[in-house]
Parts: sequence; structure tokens; C-alpha cells
Amino acid sequence: MRSLPLDHPGVADHSSPGRLLLWMAAGQKVTLLGGALFGIVWMGSQAVLPAVIGRAIDDGVAARDRGALLGWAAVMLALGLLQAGSGIMRHRFAVTNWLTAAYRTVQLVGHQTERLGGTLPRRVSTGEVVAIGTSDLEHIGGVMDVSARFAGAVVSFVLVSGILLTTSVPLGLMVLLGVPLLMLSVGPLLKPLQRRSAMQRELMSHLATTAGDIVAGLRVLRGVGGEQVFSERYARQSQTTRRAGVRVARLQSVLDALQVLLPGVFVVLVVWVGARYAVAGTITAGELVAFYGYATFLMIPLRTATEFANKVIRARVSAARVCHVLALEPDTATPTTPLVAPTGADLVDLRSGLRVPAGRLVALVCEDPDVTAHLADRLGLTTADPDDAVRLVDADGAVPLTALDPADVRRHVLVSDTGAALFSGRLRDVLDPLGRGDAVLAEALRTASAEDVVDALPEGLDHVVTERGRSFSGGQRQRLVLTRALTCAPEILVLVEPTSAVDAHTEARVATRLAELRHGLTTVVVTSSPLMLDAVDEVAFCSPDGRVVAHGPHLDLLTEVPAYRAVVTRGADDETDDQNDDQNDHETDRPTRPRETVR
Amino acid sequence: MSVRALPVADGPAVRRYAVDLARRHPRLLAAALSLHVVAAVAALALPRLLGDLVEAVETGTTNEHVNRIVLLIAGFVVAQAVLTRYARLLSQVLGEQVLAELREDFVDHTLALPISTVEDAGSGDLMTRTSRDVDRLGWSVRYSVPEWVIAVITAVLTVAAAISVGWWVVLPCLLGVPPLVIGLRWYLARARDGYQWESATYSQINTTLTESVEGARTADALGIGRARLRLLDDDIAESFRAERYTLRLRTLFFPSMEIAYLVPVVGTLLLGGWLYVGGHVSLGEVTTATLYVQMLVGPVDQIVAIMDELQVGAASLARLLGVADVPDDRVATDARPRGEKVDVRDARFSYVEGREVLHGVSLDIGVGERIAMVGPSGAGKSTLGRLLAGIHPPTAGSVTVGGVALTDLPLDDLRGHVALVTQEHHVFAGTLRENLALAAGPGASEADIRAALSAVDALEWADALPEGLDTEVGNGGRALTPPQAQQVALARLVLADPHTLVLDEATSLIDPRAARHLERSLAAVLEGRTVVAIAHRLFSAHDADRVAVVADGRIAEFGTHDELVAAGGSYAALWASWNGEHEVEKPREA
Repeated sequence: MRSLPLDHPGVADHSSPGRLLLWMAAGQKVTLLGGALFGIVWMGSQAVLPAVIGRAIDDGVAARDRGALLGWAAVMLALGLLQAGSGIMRHRFAVTNWLTAAYRTVQLVGHQTERLGGTLPRRVSTGEVVAIGTSDLEHIGGVMDVSARFAGAVVSFVLVSGILLTTSVPLGLMVLLGVPLLMLSVGPLLKPLQRRSAMQRELMSHLATTAGDIVAGLRVLRGVGGEQVFSERYARQSQTTRRAGVRVARLQSVLDALQVLLPGVFVVLVVWVGARYAVAGTITAGELVAFYGYATFLMIPLRTATEFANKVIRARVSAARVCHVLALEPDTATPTTPLVAPTGADLVDLRSGLRVPAGRLVALVCEDPDVTAHLADRLGLTTADPDDAVRLVDADGAVPLTALDPADVRRHVLVSDTGAALFSGRLRDVLDPLGRGDAVLAEALRTASAEDVVDALPEGLDHVVTERGRSFSGGQRQRLVLTRALTCAPEILVLVEPTSAVDAHTEARVATRLAELRHGLTTVVVTSSPLMLDAVDEVAFCSPDGRVVAHGPHLDLLTEVPAYRAVVTRGADDETDDQNDDQNDHETDRPTRPRETVR
Repeated sequence: MSVRALPVADGPAVRRYAVDLARRHPRLLAAALSLHVVAAVAALALPRLLGDLVEAVETGTTNEHVNRIVLLIAGFVVAQAVLTRYARLLSQVLGEQVLAELREDFVDHTLALPISTVEDAGSGDLMTRTSRDVDRLGWSVRYSVPEWVIAVITAVLTVAAAISVGWWVVLPCLLGVPPLVIGLRWYLARARDGYQWESATYSQINTTLTESVEGARTADALGIGRARLRLLDDDIAESFRAERYTLRLRTLFFPSMEIAYLVPVVGTLLLGGWLYVGGHVSLGEVTTATLYVQMLVGPVDQIVAIMDELQVGAASLARLLGVADVPDDRVATDARPRGEKVDVRDARFSYVEGREVLHGVSLDIGVGERIAMVGPSGAGKSTLGRLLAGIHPPTAGSVTVGGVALTDLPLDDLRGHVALVTQEHHVFAGTLRENLALAAGPGASEADIRAALSAVDALEWADALPEGLDTEVGNGGRALTPPQAQQVALARLVLADPHTLVLDEATSLIDPRAARHLERSLAAVLEGRTVVAIAHRLFSAHDADRVAVVADGRIAEFGTHDELVAAGGSYAALWASWNGEHEVEKPREA
């Protein structure tokens, strides 16, 4: 058995779903052929078993020849063992075929995810990509898996037809034409059954959504009431779903009955014709038994053929989805001859007029948080439409970020925004993805004031973080994300609202420590918190159209720029309005108006 | 916060429940079972008639006789088909019925979960049970259980039919038992863990892939895309190890099954032939017996194959039933609160024994007073909030309303006194009216609902919706903006009408641009009520009647804003820094 996963999934032909499947098949043709070979032996040995039983009855039993009986029994046993042996080999090849294709699909998507980076979520919904990992891999694997049995089915069908034709032409024709006809005759029933099943599935998923809705809102329901209403609503939907299930059962049971009736009718016909031949002396009693055996056996290859057809259809649908993802191109192209990023350079944006001197801690403030968030993205070359206005400037000149290899940009500039995801895994690896070491990590934890988060975990840094860090609260997650960004210790660090979800005590602490830790390194913080702004070297204040309109120390801007003061102390711009509300606005968690500063 | 897992029902409890379920529908169950038995019997006529036919052919017969036998065979085939139809129909109807009862019971148990469990356990586990376990159980009840029962009936009847041909058939059948039993025992002892490992590796692949995709931007920014790829390869390698393990199990198990099926068939033919040569049995009997033994392979194989599906179904059932095993967290007494005053007296609390989070907190809250709680994260603010909302009883000391411990009140009464308001603002799938009515008492009128919406300043947009209050919102309906959702949550509070509110970061995740609008909505809700607000931002503290600084599970400072600023403690230092007043030194490191 070949070892998986492959080191590299290779470059797929994603020009069409069919081609993708063929490309995959070509990559595993040896095991596919092996599977087909054993599939043929396996099903073939089942196909000839009725003939052997027939001979055993004729030559051994009916002829009262114990030697021949023993001989044919031995043949039967040998055939059975061959079937068992080839069966398990076929299975092993089929599993390998399934795994090779399924794993390779996952790897292809994984590599494409890595290649696209931030472009991916802009182009496709995550659900679409994730579906590849849950269901599409199964369908693509499935078609590779069934191929071994399909090969056996085709060969054994031909084999049995041949045997029957040589015994009796009418009988052979009856099998060759009758069996496919039988399969087709179920067709008219399938359409309405599929319709009802689809209806049932839809109701089931609707019901699951309702249950999920109840669980998601359980705090509300237990907190303010309404359990009875939801219990009744669920019960109502559950009964509707049950009735849909009964409607499916009405048809499904007919189909089940037909699966007894149709092969049964076929067997009756074959036995009838065979028995008349036997009476006429054309065939022996043993051959009659064999005919019965063929008639029952033939249902297997037929079913396999149907299964193959279904799986090919499903695999094509899945392959189409994979092709769609594989065809995407990253927004940020790698220049053909990338320049080398200078170290110790100022970060300059010509469009906004922002200049971040090397080694300084600069805050970005704007009335519209989207403006500064977008500017942060541009500084890190992570927007959908990169431009060459963002440059690294030193004594030797200016280098636009777009002239660099994107990987080189990532090494120099790190943007940690509010949407930053926390990955699962050992906390130490999660917080120190680049392997900077425990000393750096400890410093970062202290700076982000996140030591208590780690201390509360029994295993500390060896704690395994669950999916998306869900077990942490919003504030804890935010401090861990900040820790990670600080541990990476990039030359230029851009932080977007790094402390929006932590309390004022902690925020004040983080602000001071951040300035200490990043001393001598270039840092940009998008924030509007006075506690954070108080700790930075310099503030750049942007207008809503994205231009830097004022810059300087926080305290200077507070006194000199009224618009800045209005944004930072939020709410002072419509003071009159406020005074009317004053008696109402007692308790809020949002910064509104420290009237002292406005005065 | 400790996340405690929900319980799982044990084996005997699952069996008791299954038996109980079966007993609820005695007639349907009996009818389905007897139809399956008759259908199986009809199927068993075929080998016997075929044996007769072979016998007749061998001893010489006429076409008329053949026609009669074949007609008889046809008759049984038709009978079997018709019986199968009704047997299947009845068992599927029964299955749907049982399944509906199961899931409705589960949802009712979920809706009755103690409020402390709901707050503690997190929704992950419960969500998994709701989606995956209900799904798996559905598969078991719809397919596995009926198929298994049918297979058992068929197998038993086939053995009986085979023995009816002659006792000698038992001998070759017994030959198949050792490889069957030994193989099956060996396999089942390992299969369950093996397949669980296998499916866990696929979940892991999925998790890694999902995280890589959802966090593509982050991974790209950190430059760890390659590391994510290596992780994915590691997951695949682990999955491959699991697959290889289960494949090895099957490589030994499948052939042992094949041999267990093969030996009896060959043995029956051989022994039957031997006896025929000796003149003890007829050719027809040999044929019939061989065919019966061969017919046994299908159902036996089915019984074996479905065995692990049944195990999976039983495990899911155990998890679903487990939800009913959570003990209630409060025993209501009939003490009635006198007045609306909430009091905290020397309250201590620990989630885990030996790790106290609150060390004797006392808070004297005046009726109608607004108190802001500030302090560093982990200081115990949220825990104190939960005690105040009656979610947990204190481990020592007391938290009372009108002299009665909050957790001594029935849940319905408690809701009329205190409500906990968090960042969470779930909008249920349904009409806007339904979303609000759940919080109102049974007698709430249209006017009450409109008044509540109007109070939180939401009536305008609500009326502007395509179908007004009848507009479908939430999952699958019209998406409300986060501020609108928050207003719906606030309107529910107006309808629930508790005299005391505990706000835990109620608006801290709101879009800052909508904050001002929401503050007005919130103010309307707070009007005339006692409020304890846990706040991150200092502005809120400034506006409160009194401020409590919580640190290390104690109230470190308590007084009006001005008193605290004058006292020159940690609150004063923060306030100064917030306002850019540098004559006061920076906040001390806690």
C-alpha cells in the first residue's frame, strides 16, 4: 500500500470537472488497475459459482459419484477462497483509491488556500471551501472506490451472458435484455420518490435549524421566558417532518417491494424456461439450479452499474466545485523581479499622506473607523486592489510594497486586525507561530496583560486551544491575538483596535507596556481610546475621506484640533442634543462624553 | 469560567428508555413484526419449491406439473412482495413516530435545562447533540434498527426452514459458527475504537481546513500559510494511520466472515450429496437445504454489518438522554420577597471547590440606584453579576431580593425581579412579533408589544419592514442589523419588566456609529429600574450614582464618582489618564 499523504498534490488540470477527475485517475492509475483486476477476479468467481454447484449436483449428487462430489466440493471451496482472497485485495485497493483521491483533494484545496491567502475569503464563501473537505472529498473518492467493482460487474455480466447464450440463445437473450429492462422499469417510481425525499430532507434540515436556533438562543429563553412557545413550535415542525417521512415511506415501501418482485419475476421466468428445457432433456437438473443461481447473481453487477453511474454524476458535481476554487488567482501578484525590502525604513503612504518614521509608535485616529481600518490593510498590502502608494522610504530611495515579493512584505509588516482568527492547537504554538521562543512569548504575554489567561489554564501554555479559541471570552481572545502579534516581533507592526474589548484598567496597563516593548520598532495602532493615545509617540488624525489632516502628540492635538477632540471624546460634537438626554443616559458601556474635557 | 460537560446517560438507562419507547406503540410494533415474519416465511417457500422442481425433473415429470410448481413459486413471490410493502411501511411509520417523540423529548429537556447549566456549559456540546446526535439517531431509527430486526427475523426463520428439511443441516451450519464468532468478537472488540479514531481524524482534517480557510487572512498576514499546510498534511497522515488500522482489522475480519459463510454451503452440499448417495435423503432435499444455507448468508452478513451502526445510534441516544439527567439547580421555596431591594451580604463564591473567586463581597444597592462595576478582567465582576441575577447561589453569605435569596425563587418569579443583559442578542427565526412575545406574559397585547418597541426607539424601523411586525426575521428570514437585534433584546426586557437589571458589557461590541442611538434605547429600558452595570469604559462609571471597583474578588473602592476621584485610588488615576490630565501620575500597575 502506498504511503499517504503525497508530498505534494501536484498541479491539477482544473479546466473542467471531467478533466480534473481524469487527471486524478491518471495519478493513481496503478492502484486503479490493481483494483479493477481483483474486482474482476472477485466478481468473476461469484459468477461461475452457480455453474460449479450445478456440476456438483449433476456429476456428484445425481450421478451418485462420491469421488466427483468431493472433487466439485473442493472446487467450490477453492472458488470460495479465491473470492474471499480477491475480495479483500479488491477492498484494499479500493480503499487506497478512495484515500488517494480524497486526501489529494484536501491537499489541493489546502495549497490553494495557502496560495490565495487573504484573497480567498473575498472570492468564495468559506462554506463552499469547507464543503469540499466534508462532502466533496467523499464523492470524488467514491468514484475511484467503485471503479474496481464496476470493472468486475462489467466482466461478470458479459461472462454470465456468454454462459447462458451458449446453453440457450432465448435464455441468454432474456437475461441480456431482461435484466437492464427490469432495472429501468423502476425508473418511473424514482422521480416522485426523490421529490418526496427531497421534501423530507428539507423539512429535516428546517427542523434541525429550529433546534439549533433554540440552543443558540437558550440563554434568552431561559433568561426572559418563552420556553413553552418554542417547545410547541418544535413539536409542530417535528410532526410535519414525521408526516413527510410517512409520505416517503409509502413510496419507499413500494420500491422495496418491487425489489423483491422484479428479481422474483425474473427468477420465476428463468426457472420456468429452464424447467421446461429440463423436462425436454435439453438441460440437466444441476443446470437448472445453476440457472436459478445466475438469475439471482445478476442483480449484483446491475446494482453496481447503477451505483457507478450515480457516483460519477456526484463526483462531477464535486469536481466542479473543486475546479472553481482551484481556478482562483491571488489579488496580489508576485512581481517577476522582486526588489529587496530595506530594513529601518520609514513607512509612507502617498495617498493618505501618512508617514510613520522608523522606530516610532504612531496612532491612527479617524471619525469613521472603516477609513483607518482600510488604511491599515493597505499598509500591510492585504487589500483587494493593491496600489503602489504605500512605500518603504530610506536614504537610498523609496520602494513600493507592490515591488516586493508578497512573502517578503509579510516578513516585514504584520497587520493584526479585529477580524484576526485564533487557531486551535497547543497554546504555545498558537501564540508563537514563528517559533521566537518562550522568552519573547513571556514578554509579549506580559505586555498584552494576558498572563492571567494562561495562569487560569491548568496546563498553562500546553493547553490545547479548541476550534477558533471559542472557550475564551471576547476580551481574552483579543489579548491573546495581541500577544501573538507581539511575539511575532515584526519590524513593522500594525494593530487595529487591539484593546477595544478589554476593561479600562487593563487597557491602561497594555498601553504603557506596548510602548516599552515596541521601543525602537515601528508600530502603528488604529484606536480611539484616550488611554492608548496617551501612550503613543505621535498621533495621525485622518479626515473621513482618508487624508491625514493633523499629526502630533495626543495632548497637543486634544487642545489644538477641535475635530480630533470630538472624535476621541466622542459625542462632544452634538453637545446640545446630549444635554437633553442627560437625565436618561445614566448607564452605558460606550464612551460618550467626559464633559470635563470638553469644557 | 469552568465549562462543565453535560452528562451522558448510562447503558441501563438507554435500554430502559428503548423498551419504554417500544411499549408506547404495542399494536403498531406487533403488526409490523408479524408482517415481517410472514413475508420472510413466503420468501422461504422458493427454495423448497425449487427443490421439488429439481426432484421432479430428476425423477421425470410433465410440463403441466412444472407449470403448476412455477405458478406456485410466482404466487409466493407476489405474496412476499405485497407483504414486504406493508411490513416496511408499518415499520417506517413506527420509526418516524418514535423518532419524533425522541427529538421532541430532547428539545423539551433542553428547554428545561437549569439556568446555571445554560450559562456555564457553553452551547458547543449542546449544539453537537442537537445536530449530529439527532441526525445519527434518525439514521439508526429509520434504517439500522428496522434492517437489523428484519435480518434477525429472516436469519432465524431461514435456520428453522433449513432444519425442517432435516436435522443433518445443522452440522455444516455449526462449522461456520467458530470462524463467525471468533472473527466477530475479535473485530467488534477493536472496531468501535478504530472507527471512532478514524472519524475523529476526519473531523480534525475538517477543523484544520476550516480554520485555514476562515483564517486565511490571518494566516497570510502572519506568514504561516506553509505551517498550516504542514498541519493539514499531519492531519492527513494521522487519518491515514487510522484508515490503515481499520483496514487491517477488515483484512482479517472479512475473509474470516467469507469462510464462515462458505464452509456451511459447501458442507451442506457435500453432506447432503453423501446422504443422497446413501439413499437417506432426496435430491430435492439436498437442493433445498443448500439453497437455504446459501440464503442465510445475506441476513447474517446484514446483522454483522449493522452491529456497529447500532452502537453509534445507542451512543447518540445516550447523549440525547443525558440532557434530561442534569439535576435542577434550585428548589423554589414559597417565600415571597417583601419589596424590591437587592442586597449582597458577605457573599463568597467558587466555581471549583478550593478556588474561590469572590472573597466576601457586600453591596448595599438602593432601589432605583445605578451602580457601575469597574475593575480589571478576572477580578470577579461577571461572577458577581451572575450572583446578582440569581444564576448561581453564593457558596457562603447571601444575595437577596426583598429578604428572600434569589435562588429560592421559582424561575418564572425570578424573571420578574432581575434580568441579566449580556452582549448576546439572539434573534430567533420567526416573526418580529414572536421574537418579542416570548418575553411577555400570556396576556400581552399588540399594544404592549408596540409600546415596548416604541420605548426602545425601534417602532419606526419595525413598521417600515415589508410586513411590519409579521416580517420573518432571524435565520432564514430578514437579517436585522446588530443594533436592531440589540434593540429587540432591549424591547424584550421592557416586556419582561424586571425591577432590577444586571448589565454585563451589554453594548460593548456594538458598532460605535450606532452606539449613541442605542444608548437612548437602553436609557429608556433602564428608566425607573435598579441597575448594576459592569463597564469597561469609564464614561459609564462617571454617570452612575455610585461606582464599585472590583479587584481580586473584593470590592476595593465603593462610592460616588467624585468621592472616588477625591480619594486618589486606582480609579482616580485611570480617570486622570483618560482625560489626558498629566499632573496626576499614570495608573499604578495592579
